[in-house]
Amino acid sequence: MKKLIPLGLIRGWVWQIIGTAFGVGLVTGIRVLMHLPPWKAEPSAVVGGLFGALFFIYGVGVFDDWILWASGRESPDHGDEMKLGWRRFFGPSNNHKTIGVQYLALSLLLFTIAGIFALIFRVKLAVPGSKLLTPTEYNTLMSLHGIVMIISVLIGISAFMNYVVPMLIGARDMVFPRLNAFSFWIAVPAGEILLSSLFMGGFDTGWTGYPPLSAQAPLGMQMFFLGVSLASFSSILSALNVLATVIRLRAKGMTPFRMPIFVWAAIATSIISLTATQLIGLSFQMVMLQRLLGMGFFDPIKGGNPILFQYLFWFYSHPAVYVFVLPGLGIISELLPVFVRKPLYGYKWVAMSSLAIALAGFLVWGHHMFAAGMAEYLRDPFMVSTLLVAVPTGVKFFSWVATIWRGKITFPTPMLFVLASILVFLLGGLSGPPNATVSTDLQLNNTYYIVGHFHDALYGGYVFPFFAAIYYWFPKMTGKRMSEKLGKLQFWLMVPSFTVMSLLMMRIGLLGMRRRVSDYDPALGFQADMMVMTIMSFLTALGVLVFFINLFLTLKRGEAATGNVWNSRSPEWLVPSPMPLHNYDQELEVVGEPYDYGLKDSPYVRFHGESEDGRNQ
Amino acid sequence: MVETNKASALRLGMLIFGALAVATAVEFLLALFAYVLPILVVIALIKAGLVMYYYMHINRLFEADPDPDQESFSYKLMTNRIGLWFFMLSDSFIFGGLLVSRFNLLGLTRPDVNQFTGLGVTSLLLISSFFANRAETAMVHGDRKQTTISLVVTILLGLLFLAGVIGIEWRIAPFRPADNVAGAIFYAMTGFHAFHVLTGITFLSIVLGNNLRMRYTSEKHWAVEAAVTYWHFIDVVWIIFYPALYLIGSVH
Amino acid sequence: MKHFFSIAVLILASTFAIHAGMIDLHLLPKQASLQAVSIDQLFAIYMWATAFVFSLIVVPLVYSLILYRRRKGETGDGAHITGNSTLEIAWTVVPLIAVIYLAYLGAQSLAEIRRIDQTAMVVKVIAGQWYFQFQYPDYGFSSPELHLPVNRQVDLQMTSNDVIHSFFVPEFRLKQDILPGRTTELRITPTSIGSYTVSCAQLCGANHAYMRATVKVDSQQDFDAWVASQKATAGQNPVLVGEQLAQQYGCAVCHSVDGSKGNGPTWKGLYQSQVSLTDGTKVTADQTYLLNSITNPNLQIVAGFSPNVMPQTYGQTLSKDQVSALLAYLESIK
Repeated sequence: MKKLIPLGLIRGWVWQIIGTAFGVGLVTGIRVLMHLPPWKAEPSAVVGGLFGALFFIYGVGVFDDWILWASGRESPDHGDEMKLGWRRFFGPSNNHKTIGVQYLALSLLLFTIAGIFALIFRVKLAVPGSKLLTPTEYNTLMSLHGIVMIISVLIGISAFMNYVVPMLIGARDMVFPRLNAFSFWIAVPAGEILLSSLFMGGFDTGWTGYPPLSAQAPLGMQMFFLGVSLASFSSILSALNVLATVIRLRAKGMTPFRMPIFVWAAIATSIISLTATQLIGLSFQMVMLQRLLGMGFFDPIKGGNPILFQYLFWFYSHPAVYVFVLPGLGIISELLPVFVRKPLYGYKWVAMSSLAIALAGFLVWGHHMFAAGMAEYLRDPFMVSTLLVAVPTGVKFFSWVATIWRGKITFPTPMLFVLASILVFLLGGLSGPPNATVSTDLQLNNTYYIVGHFHDALYGGYVFPFFAAIYYWFPKMTGKRMSEKLGKLQFWLMVPSFTVMSLLMMRIGLLGMRRRVSDYDPALGFQADMMVMTIMSFLTALGVLVFFINLFLTLKRGEAATGNVWNSRSPEWLVPSPMPLHNYDQELEVVGEPYDYGLKDSPYVRFHGESEDGRNQ
Repeated sequence: MVETNKASALRLGMLIFGALAVATAVEFLLALFAYVLPILVVIALIKAGLVMYYYMHINRLFEADPDPDQESFSYKLMTNRIGLWFFMLSDSFIFGGLLVSRFNLLGLTRPDVNQFTGLGVTSLLLISSFFANRAETAMVHGDRKQTTISLVVTILLGLLFLAGVIGIEWRIAPFRPADNVAGAIFYAMTGFHAFHVLTGITFLSIVLGNNLRMRYTSEKHWAVEAAVTYWHFIDVVWIIFYPALYLIGSVH
Repeated sequence: MKHFFSIAVLILASTFAIHAGMIDLHLLPKQASLQAVSIDQLFAIYMWATAFVFSLIVVPLVYSLILYRRRKGETGDGAHITGNSTLEIAWTVVPLIAVIYLAYLGAQSLAEIRRIDQTAMVVKVIAGQWYFQFQYPDYGFSSPELHLPVNRQVDLQMTSNDVIHSFFVPEFRLKQDILPGRTTELRITPTSIGSYTVSCAQLCGANHAYMRATVKVDSQQDFDAWVASQKATAGQNPVLVGEQLAQQYGCAVCHSVDGSKGNGPTWKGLYQSQVSLTDGTKVTADQTYLLNSITNPNLQIVAGFSPNVMPQTYGQTLSKDQVSALLAYLESIK
């Protein structure tokens, strides 16, 4: 098949069709054998979707080497994939930089789709009584906005960790390159299946999927559960790869406290992703089983407990929000020293604070359930644990301010987005404690206040750092530099508009405006706020559009930037751009501290010895 | 170095199996005749610890690298081990979630399942771990023939386990999955575990095939070590699930 | 160090300015319950804390960005300062103490709002898709509106007929999810006479946005009068009972009585009319048809409407008498 269809993605889609048909056939066949009516939509859709996804990644070629090994044969040398040109991005690459770009592209695609969903329902919400969408259409778009954004965040994080971590630690690639390819490619059908829910009746539960509502929701619900389950494997295996890589492939002399700070963030994030993610898979699969086989885990009539779902779900979904923000906070810490020309203040404490947030984050999940009807005595302990997370978070903020104090500061686009991240994440963080104390949370839970809080936390902890990182590392990835003019335009379009929107959300939430409502009573007096929020959301989207324009123009005819554009001490900037195929041809040794800006004759790394010949991956 | 230790390595494997067998007999009898919940928990932890230390060699993770060259075989072997353990760590969260669900839904009651088939399938799995360990030990000492035989027995016992759980226990259980929450959690826990047993059998079969093709040596046999370690992991999960489903709590 | 002094002054000024702004914005709704008092006190503390911490970070940040920006022609790096253990310990320990204190205040507040009054009146709340129903076991009637006497604690015992809902009145500052198969509790002591809205605050399906009911806090006399009138009309003319039930169970959300379009077919002139179904057939809307529409809705769907929008549970949740009353009412709408 490889000769017939050279492009992995197309092969994948062909096999996906075959796999889906196989899955449907399997279900139908089993039903016939069991003397049941042959056709039933739901099991067919689920099994079809699952086999479709597995056959997809087989078709792409992800399993090829493993199949060879399983039958006792050697796998071929994957040689210089650069010969494939642009085609390498559409097939199974084992190179972390190619995979990083694949992740980035998928992330931006999903981000755009989820953003468009939001723009659509924000138009409806701007006018109470609007008939633009039916209630179920609204609920579906709102739910998909949530989950598709979450998946795009997880994939964007995989993009950065995969692209940047090997470069930062002086390695040629990740320890498990084929696993890396698998982790990326499984996310593609996962996204497809998630979006397919739009055409299968949608679902009206929000991304949290609580039963009993999710147990009786339309077929689209199963596509949501299946899509997320598949995506979870991407997250888990990517994290496994990052952790093993950081443990095993650091350059000589790179002791733990001489690693770039982003690596600490990647470690903390990956510890969570590796472990807790299994619980969202499990909780969703249990609802799938309840729907498909009547297994009443969460059905009170059969003795089940709806709150059990919430415990299982939030045990992942709270730590998940730290997965969302820890890398971005790591990017802030990583980039600040470069643009203020000063060491990261209290590096060790900042490193430890990422770990502390990750570990403490496992202990707070009950704060999503203060009004859920869980046992009373559990509410205070979760309040305490939740408030404690503020301490390591505060350490980061104080360190950032201290890093900037007495620096020598410039304001290119990456720095602007770093500053925006600090400001907006501060709003996210400060709006947190009222949710932590139980009594105040009873007012705020399930209102727009929460929506404002987490959008601030997400934009400050992920979206703005994400753009900062793209502007910062773009020259390293492509040898070109993105337009400063357009970058600043994007900044001024996105940051004020988003901030205003989030503050308005918190305002109407405090006044009692519920979240996840497709419509609202004009007598509440929130019409003006909602209209302004909609306008703000379109301005933010315009900023994203400017980004894409910048991206495409730069790729076409951007300003060349092949050297150390930012004058960074970090090793990846000491080799030419774009980054060579295997990163460092000479062996790297760490001989100093990563952030000793302002100290004369204090190199961070030294290169040794002859160039190696291109070794096989 | 290698030949003189083979006998003692095999003996150690038998000794550990003996301890596991005794512990299982004790927990079974205690549960039936002298129920003390904390002791059942402790026995399960001891069994798990024995398997993790003596069969899965968890201590190897903390050994220093004999060769610091990141391109050397021994370095990459250690990296692979770390990767496998991370995988098993992650997987154990699913089983942990199921365990939490079992206690949340059923409290200190348990499903009304047959004790003899329970003990039976548990024994099959423990014995299979013995043979898996034997297979790996043989491989370490270069005895391909013994590896083959032991792998075959392990796989057969694994298949018998599946037949016992899915073929027998699922049929004779006094409830269907959709009847009530005891049924739901019983089928879910045994089902997720059985799926892992199936993947373990598949992995072992692939390794068996490659062993017959003489792909492994006493120095380089990572796939054998990996498949066997994964098999032991599945056994450890059952070491916890068995008392959770069969021994702990009173019947509804 | 003049900079530290300036920054300190600016932080204080900023804190007071932001706090004043927050107060001016009237960020919280009217306070209408006893429980709201301790909650609002905690919110007041948060407003100070938020204004202060925001200033504490942003003022030095902006100050530094301005003071230490690289001017044209300036070369060189910033000062080589890597940290200061004392400071780092301080900014870990002080926030730790602050959050522990907040936790203490939070625990106090929670205990305050969960205080049990033994003389509380019990009202049962039944929630379903997409209605609230309030039952007064002490008096033997149920109502689609929640009436409460002022300054008396009510013990809401809540359960759901289907999925998870939630009881939320912003002016009371309280919220509690309502679950199927069990009873959850919420205690409220209303302190301000007036009319409020309880909304469902847990996404519960298509019409979640419209799931609301009226809450009236009355003086004791007005409340007693209302109780008396409710008891009087309970169990009378089936058409009136049916009309009440149609209100209580939220039928009006989808079915109009004046012929206007909604999520469900209008009831105006429905009885004994000719109805076109999705399978192309035409039937007469006789009593059997109406009965099936309530208890087995997917059996016959009117053309232009979809299956699975009408909740499937009324067959179980309504008693025979209630269904008869509803039928009587439906048949009466010309």
